[in-house]
Amino acid sequence: MIERKLLVNARLGLHARAAAKLVRLTNTFHSNVLLRRIEGGPNADAKSILSVLMLAATAGTELEASVEGVDEQAAMLAIEKLFAESFGEREVEV
Amino acid sequence: MKEQTPEIRCKGLGVSEGVVIGQVLRLVDGASQVSRWSVKAEDLEKETQRFRDAAAAASQRLRKIRDQAGGRLGNEYAYIFDAHVLLLEDEKLLGDIVEYITAERVNAEWAIKVVGDRLTALYSEIKDDYLRGRGSDIEDVMQRLLTALSGARPEDLQLAEDAVIVSRDLLPSALAELDLTHAQALATDSGGWTSHTAILARGIGLPAVVGLRDFYRRTKTGDRIIVDSHRNEVILHPSRETLAGYDKQTGQPSARRKAAHVADRGALRTQDGVEIKLRANIELPAEFDGVEKYGACGIGLYRSEFLLARNGLTVSEQEQRIAYEAVARLAGEAGAIIRLFDLGGENTRSHFREPEKNPALGLRAIRFGLRNDSVMRRQLRAILLAAASGKLKIVLPMVTDVSEVKRVKAMIGEEIAKLMDEGQPYGDVPIGAMIEVPAAVMMAEKIAACVDFFELGTNDLVQYTLAVDRSNDEVADWFRTLHPAVLEGISRSLKAAEQAGIPAIVCGEMASTPAYAVLLIGLGATDLSMTPSAMPRVRSTLAAIDSASARIIVDECLTCEGADEVEYLVRTRLGSRWPHLFPASSLPQPRPTE
Repeated sequence: MIERKLLVNARLGLHARAAAKLVRLTNTFHSNVLLRRIEGGPNADAKSILSVLMLAATAGTELEASVEGVDEQAAMLAIEKLFAESFGEREVEV
Repeated sequence: MKEQTPEIRCKGLGVSEGVVIGQVLRLVDGASQVSRWSVKAEDLEKETQRFRDAAAAASQRLRKIRDQAGGRLGNEYAYIFDAHVLLLEDEKLLGDIVEYITAERVNAEWAIKVVGDRLTALYSEIKDDYLRGRGSDIEDVMQRLLTALSGARPEDLQLAEDAVIVSRDLLPSALAELDLTHAQALATDSGGWTSHTAILARGIGLPAVVGLRDFYRRTKTGDRIIVDSHRNEVILHPSRETLAGYDKQTGQPSARRKAAHVADRGALRTQDGVEIKLRANIELPAEFDGVEKYGACGIGLYRSEFLLARNGLTVSEQEQRIAYEAVARLAGEAGAIIRLFDLGGENTRSHFREPEKNPALGLRAIRFGLRNDSVMRRQLRAILLAAASGKLKIVLPMVTDVSEVKRVKAMIGEEIAKLMDEGQPYGDVPIGAMIEVPAAVMMAEKIAACVDFFELGTNDLVQYTLAVDRSNDEVADWFRTLHPAVLEGISRSLKAAEQAGIPAIVCGEMASTPAYAVLLIGLGATDLSMTPSAMPRVRSTLAAIDSASARIIVDECLTCEGADEVEYLVRTRLGSRWPHLFPASSLPQPRPTE
């Protein structure tokens, strides 16, 4: 199992479209992916869009991700990349 | 064979011209009733399966819509539906609902409602405005599940060439989302002549009858229906005789829509030589074609709110700039007037924390912009940048006095300074004020002194002058465009503009009705902006009248004691002065009664 901290830096937080991207991504891997707010709270299944939306993660929220499974390395890498790229959203301001 | 269901006729208000024979496509809104019933233990498995099948059907349908939306509006748009598709396939969501069905031994509809309400309640506690607004995604998905459970198979009908959309109410954004190339007509329970949805329907030439009260609940998707805007009527399950009568009359409804009038171009003059400009009101990209087709003299009103349909308030400067550049190109030499986001009332349901008690009098239009500084500045910057390559003007919605104009002007000054610092090219942008609330009329002379032009939004002016909600069909009888107070307000605003030497454009729906347009000319207007498809008839009317006679008729109207009297005068005076233009049937009739 790998654990990492992730920062939600998409301007709008993990809203529907960003969550959709995350869920589409995690579902391409075999590993289980759980997300949790750093300050605690329930685990969210990152393969379920409802779970992800219910995290209500606004911009600046810190999350803890734990990935477990045969392809956990690749999965974590891809997830980190998605977060780092702000879910592929164009920056709104210069 | 099914036996013939009796024909049902229902009276409403035809707000967009046309006669269409088609099939009902019910669009559910957020307010449908869901009932609860118990399911026997031995039937629980069947009920669960019924739900699973419905979910599968709903998701299949949504995938289709998503792919279409992607093709039609770009992938940015399709992505919204992608989230909905994922929700419809979400094992946690579906599992919760199945669990509720089994545990409580209730029908699937009720389980969807309870689980959905629970989730939206959770969402409503989220502290972030934007994320909280997304609770509507969940509502939307729940509605799709309920629709699928109702047994309708809209995935086929969505694509039917003769779909008639029937709904209780239809949000403008929902209309924008439809496959407009296939929808043939619209019939809704609520709404009036100037409701936003009616305006859009006219804009895209979609025949519509609204204000049908309780029509929606009588329909099923797939029912045969006739929508007849001329008779202010819809007919459900039309009899063979009725259909035969209509077939003769209409021929191919879609062919009728496609047969556009060839636009008369060039300067429009009244018989006594007054030059009149006709500009276009636009919002949806689907309306853009009409600007060129009907020979509009530029764009008199670009309703920028459409830009918010995809990304909400965070729509980027870049995206806006591209949109404004396209609008400027479309408008050409005559230029385009961009109305700053006119948010509030019917179009901000999902942007606000709590629904306001009285949104029409709430934080909307210019007030919303001044409160949300960053949203307004981003829009101003995008317009300034786009103006580097095209002619653009800005109009401020819902101004009540000079201070609001000054504050926006100061912001524009600051943004220009920043753009200069950044070395970005920008263009000069004249600023106008929308005159649409009584306070602005009373301040017209003072406001005229500090703006470059006036724009008269007659729809809101009627609503606010008469204190009548234009989308509430209960008070539709009080929504009187021809109220003397409204004419007085228009008259004073036009005079104030004239004295200050600035142009005044009348951009409300009033301008698009020939009889009203004549009155506007009589009041001194020479610059009208309307839905492009209305231009041919307004053009041919105004070219045939003389402004002097119009003025005499208006002067008489201004002495009237009430709207009834004005309406009577308009019917008789226009009809006797220009009988060839205004046969009795073409004039505003007394409102349809039960």
